[in-house]
Amino acid sequence: MNKYLDLTIDEIHVAYLKKELTPKMLLDEVFERMDACQDLNCIITATKEEAYQRAEELSKEEVGGPLWGIPIVIKDNIITKQIRTTCASKMLENFIPIYQATVIDKILKAGMIIVGKTNMDEFAMGSTSETSYFGPPKNPWNPIYITGGSSGGSAGAVASRMVPFALGSDTGGSIRQPASYTGLVGMKPTYGRVSRYGLVAFASSLDQIGPMTRTVYENAVLLNVIAGFDEKDLTSSKKKVEDYTAYLGKETQSLKIGIPSYLVSEVVSEEVRDVFNHVVDLLKKHGNTVEMVEVSYLEQAVPLYQILAMAEASSNLARFDGIRYGYRIEDSKNIDFLYEQTRKEGFGEEVKRRIMVGSSLLSGENAKKYYDKALSIRDDMRSSFLAAFKDYDLLIAPTTTTAAYPLGQGLDDPLKGFMDDILVIPANMAGLPAMNLPAGFSKENLPIGMQIIGAPFQEGKMYQLASFLEKMLDLDLEGGKRQ
Amino acid sequence: MTKYEATIGIEVHVEVKTKSKFFSSSENGYGKNANASCTVVDLGYPGTLPTINEEVINQGIRAVHLTHCKLTKKMHFDRKNYFYPDNPKNYQITQNRTPIGREGYLEIKTSLGLKKIEIEEMHLEEDTCKSAHRGTVSLLDFNRAGVPLIEIVSKPCMHTKEEAVLYLEKLRETFFYGEISDCKIEEGSMRCDANVSIAPIGSKTLGTKCEIKNIGSIHNVGIAIEKEIERQTTLLEKGETLKEETRRFDDKIGDTILMRMKETGNDYRYFPEPDIPMITLSQEQITKAISLLPMTPDERRRQYQEKGMKELSIEKILANKALSDYLNRFLSTPLNFVIAANLLLGDISSYLNKNFLSLEKTKLTDEKFLDLVKKLEVGELSNKNVKDILEEILEKDSSIETIMKENHIQNITDVSFVEEVIQKVLDQNQESVKDYHQGKDRALKYLMGQVMKEAKGTINPKIANEKLKEMLQNQ
Amino acid sequence: MKKLSVEEVKHVAHLARIAISEEEIEKYQVRLGALYEMIDQIHEIKGYNDDMMITPFDEEPSLRKDEVGPMLSFEEVLLNAPRKNGKFIEVPVVVNE
Repeated sequence: MNKYLDLTIDEIHVAYLKKELTPKMLLDEVFERMDACQDLNCIITATKEEAYQRAEELSKEEVGGPLWGIPIVIKDNIITKQIRTTCASKMLENFIPIYQATVIDKILKAGMIIVGKTNMDEFAMGSTSETSYFGPPKNPWNPIYITGGSSGGSAGAVASRMVPFALGSDTGGSIRQPASYTGLVGMKPTYGRVSRYGLVAFASSLDQIGPMTRTVYENAVLLNVIAGFDEKDLTSSKKKVEDYTAYLGKETQSLKIGIPSYLVSEVVSEEVRDVFNHVVDLLKKHGNTVEMVEVSYLEQAVPLYQILAMAEASSNLARFDGIRYGYRIEDSKNIDFLYEQTRKEGFGEEVKRRIMVGSSLLSGENAKKYYDKALSIRDDMRSSFLAAFKDYDLLIAPTTTTAAYPLGQGLDDPLKGFMDDILVIPANMAGLPAMNLPAGFSKENLPIGMQIIGAPFQEGKMYQLASFLEKMLDLDLEGGKRQ
Repeated sequence: MTKYEATIGIEVHVEVKTKSKFFSSSENGYGKNANASCTVVDLGYPGTLPTINEEVINQGIRAVHLTHCKLTKKMHFDRKNYFYPDNPKNYQITQNRTPIGREGYLEIKTSLGLKKIEIEEMHLEEDTCKSAHRGTVSLLDFNRAGVPLIEIVSKPCMHTKEEAVLYLEKLRETFFYGEISDCKIEEGSMRCDANVSIAPIGSKTLGTKCEIKNIGSIHNVGIAIEKEIERQTTLLEKGETLKEETRRFDDKIGDTILMRMKETGNDYRYFPEPDIPMITLSQEQITKAISLLPMTPDERRRQYQEKGMKELSIEKILANKALSDYLNRFLSTPLNFVIAANLLLGDISSYLNKNFLSLEKTKLTDEKFLDLVKKLEVGELSNKNVKDILEEILEKDSSIETIMKENHIQNITDVSFVEEVIQKVLDQNQESVKDYHQGKDRALKYLMGQVMKEAKGTINPKIANEKLKEMLQNQ
Repeated sequence: MKKLSVEEVKHVAHLARIAISEEEIEKYQVRLGALYEMIDQIHEIKGYNDDMMITPFDEEPSLRKDEVGPMLSFEEVLLNAPRKNGKFIEVPVVVNE
């Protein structure tokens, strides 16, 4: 078994064209492996029935583009029509939407088959996926370790090789950080490159959907499909979408690459720095310039992010009130009782804490003192990044300060989660595209990643560098694969 | 009472006339079945995002123009956060920091002369859903959720209920004639809140203000303000201090009563709406929006006056926009506006009201109307004639001439016909002709009666009378 | 370690419409306090430019033509609502006066 699932998508595509493979045959392999991975708890809802039905429909069509008949899992904060969408929360435990996200329209149009909705931190708030109402997903490389988060289930699903593709969302590193912990390529596109319509908002000005994949090429193929203007999202860009695969394999000599100095400072563990330095040496050896660069306010990126993310979240999550959809307590004497008890019971601890702090950050005079100030500094931070891109083609940095750590370690510390994201948050603050690329391994043989950060809409250039490094490093990333 | 002076500020919400809602493409309509005009966006479903209806922005530009406000060319939206069942997202998208208009005015004509009522600001926002109370539960209908609103906030610059009422009437007329809103208070497409405070005459500071919410008619705004001034005066004269409070007007008792306060007070936690980027209005969009404005009521007044209409008649026409719009089609024609207005306000209006019709639904073409007024003006038709044949004019495709013929209304200015009739009457009544020449006035009346009888009432009596006198002289 | 006062905790819980029990108050005093301690670091930042960035998106948004699109049936409106009544969604009575 599993003759096809582990092939590259191009090889699968050829097998489809030669008619030696049907979507149904591939699904048999997917669900067999999904069953074998049950202990990893990466999937909240498997969509076996819907997937086979779709396979049936597809088999009546001509074979389409490179993603035709290819299975994918979707983070459970992306709205799927007729498929339960929970945000890993009791609040939406039984929520079956009658609409769907624009990215779902796009992947279905490309012929992809949704096989499941993935586990995550509740409403994407967290960095280990342990805040999930459905319990934490486990790292396929070693199940006592976290997958990272918040897109932990998506990361685990691809790392275990139950599917080649996953969609995640990234508000403060939620694609890149778990990709780093599980050895995947994870792209957070430029803010506005991918429509947010149908992504359950955590922090509207920071959220972005992106692909999580086994390889750089596969990542570029999926971004090709999901990127683009959407009239349903006022913050989606009208800039033309390039063919990102065209950048792969291009010459990468004489690039000017900057390293924001704070992102390689003592906040980063030695182990991670060693892996990163190895990459830097490799780049220099191949004729690229790599220099330190100063970007303002990176030291304060975490508190600035907390203010914006929690304030926006407090407003975005106000709609969960037990009235139009979602969880509602049985008996309510009056409207405030309905609100307060529904939200007490429907939300988990982390979410409640962030909503409360977010509400208070906007309350009265605080709005000026905190939120407005954070918006002003954010503007400066973005300007500082953009200035750096006048001198450098790309920026690189580690993705995480350490490799994945054991489950349960940070549970009681309300700040640990934020500190895990210290290196990935700045890209969200500035709206820049940033990706994780596997770069090496820890002593425990867990993956360690690195980030490539681009100027707005320079995803192509990032893929170019990533594909070069992928080839040079030639890492064995199948350590999480389940048979 | 003379010891105190009142200060009044008024906040008005009007529903903006568009086909679709502000942030979604559901229908912006009134009187639909419950929960039949909404989308997942209006219901605040997770993951949905607002879009912006360009027509709302255009209407905003027009509203700003009509109220002489300064237009904010670079603007964003804000979220006003509060939990309430009629507020689907539990935040309302509004404009807090960059209202589309600031610092304007409307001019009113008070008994003491013209006065400019200053407008502080005007902003765009979305309406809430409707809730109906049934015993222990409230029922929500989301059709109104997301309907575009303009809120107009006056400065606290009015001092009497007369000014407040005139300001509201002016505002309603301006927005109604600008086709920005239907301004129907009874249907909720215009809502008024008044802030009232009193202070000793000459005082430099304002007194404690009370807000009176959601008053059901402009007339009631006047009553509510009067009652509120009385109430505050009584309290102050008793030596009590006033509390800032929110009241509502109860039209059954004709007085204001205290509303139970929402306990959270006004902590709305405003912040800029991140789902809507900054909008920059182009000069092209501004110019185009303004160019599509219909003629203002004041301009209509000026033009009608030039056409010789009297103030009373002008105001009556302006009270019915459909009639005024109809009259305006003839501004560059030689139409006699005085006669036309009388006809429109009189017989035509009665007909339309009786049959629940609008002018467009009748067979009255512009040509027919011009012809009709012309014939009245030169005397080819009398008012009585018009009364008799109006129904046919409005219901038949036939020309006025045809209808006149069918009703045996002669071409009464045909002098030869008039002469013929008179000659016949004179020939048959030689006695009366003699009487006339002997100075008996009654004889003329009698002869005139005979002429009209002979002509079966189809000739213009004025012309006939003159002709009769002329022909009697020559007898 | 910064701690919020009992009143502050109750205030933010009410703003957020989240019920908290008396036993939970102390937990939140500490946990919310810790978040504030971190957030308060931004008071050290001086000399920044006052221009605000609402969202990291520089393009002029395209506005929608004023046309009516597809709408939900009332059955669809009610589909996910936990409590309904005829064609309406039901809530405990809201006293508005």
